[in-house]
Amino acid sequence: MATSIEESTALVIGAGSLGGPAALVLAGAGVGRLLLVDAAVTGQSDLSVQPGLAEADLGRPRAAALAGRLGRLFPGVAVEPIEAPFAGEAAAALVARAGVVVHASAEAELAFSANDAAMAAGRPFVHGGVLHLSAQLLTVMPGRTGCLRCLFEAPPPGGPAPGLEAPILGPLAGLAGSLMGQEAVRLLLGQPATYAGRLLTYGARAGQGRLVPVRPRPGCPACEAVQLQPPGTQGAA
Amino acid sequence: MAPTAAEAARFARQLGLPGLGEDGLARIRAARVHVVGAGLVAGPALLSLAQAGVGTIFLDDGEDVRPGDGRTWLCAADQEGTPRALAARETLRAATSLTAVRFHATEVRPGATLVCSESQVTATRAAERARTSGVPCVVVQATDVGGQVISVPLGAPCLRCASRPAAGAHARDGVAAAMGCLGALELLLLLAGLVPRDAGRRVELKDGRFEASATVRREGCDCYLVY
Repeated sequence: MATSIEESTALVIGAGSLGGPAALVLAGAGVGRLLLVDAAVTGQSDLSVQPGLAEADLGRPRAAALAGRLGRLFPGVAVEPIEAPFAGEAAAALVARAGVVVHASAEAELAFSANDAAMAAGRPFVHGGVLHLSAQLLTVMPGRTGCLRCLFEAPPPGGPAPGLEAPILGPLAGLAGSLMGQEAVRLLLGQPATYAGRLLTYGARAGQGRLVPVRPRPGCPACEAVQLQPPGTQGAA
Repeated sequence: MAPTAAEAARFARQLGLPGLGEDGLARIRAARVHVVGAGLVAGPALLSLAQAGVGTIFLDDGEDVRPGDGRTWLCAADQEGTPRALAARETLRAATSLTAVRFHATEVRPGATLVCSESQVTATRAAERARTSGVPCVVVQATDVGGQVISVPLGAPCLRCASRPAAGAHARDGVAAAMGCLGALELLLLLAGLVPRDAGRRVELKDGRFEASATVRREGCDCYLVY
């Protein structure tokens, strides 16, 4: 049983522009164990948007590179890089180990499979995304708020292909990723989540944000699969 | 000016942004930015600016690395006791060789200033110095629940006119980092010409809500005088 943040485990899916800052915030807050899932290797464009990577990481797996940086900044945090896609039974096993699931990947299909896995395991789920000069963030509390599938039902048709890098500006991803990390910290501390059941959209050019309520949708297959966990039994490191 | 091959590869995701393009990137690459502070707010801001391709960054921080400064994203535990600006320079240089990272000195003539100091006195002094030097300035003020980022382009209302009293404790790590990134974002939008360069604005974050408003000059303030 996780009784403090030092004893808790967080799962971060994606070690790119959102996952980097989210993991940095979680590690800085003293989370006991961080599971970092990312199958990509560090490319040139990562170095313009991911604050946890350096030029020496070019060509290295992103998860391992970020884990190395976190280990140097926060020696007390156990960081477990997983250099594989988030899929199948391995994904469900990772979710079961975590007290909170943070989805920080640009792939829409992956967002929905992470949402479904978190719902099925009854884990709080923090989702973020950034495209062009807009960012979004949503926290899902299984059984209490609507989930990603309540909001959109399915990934948008014709969305970006896996691995395709959408145009973004680094600090906007840093802003969203930091808030995602802080949201996950709040959940691990047992505090109310700021974006539980409300979708934040932020447009950088106008500097304006909007909060949209996300209520459970009758018939949502992900919400119907929710297995609620007794309080305090999730994510011991 | 067209980007070099190295710049085109590194900044591909920025170049694809509507409205930014090669001209916007060239303006960012030409920028010389003075950043005040290297703490919880400034660290993420510094990394954001360097990685986005700002040409030259001038570091300005007088503290030494303390226990827990890993939360600045710049300083490792084995750097405790060394000047924080030195640790920051090492991290920024490792992050990118496309940005020059130097220490701020009195003879330095920056083209823009980003103020991330946790000291209100230091922040006000730095913002006023930027304004009277004819340099656009962005100021970040973080609290435990959010904070405000104030853009002061040339001729816009000064920080004293534009800021609202900020109540609250010191910012939590994630909020501090978010506000630092927001400060870097506001400055980059200004440098790249993606927001008007002649109007000040204040972006506030409070309890998860973002709001932007145009800043207004206070009656009696002489900040319309640009020296």
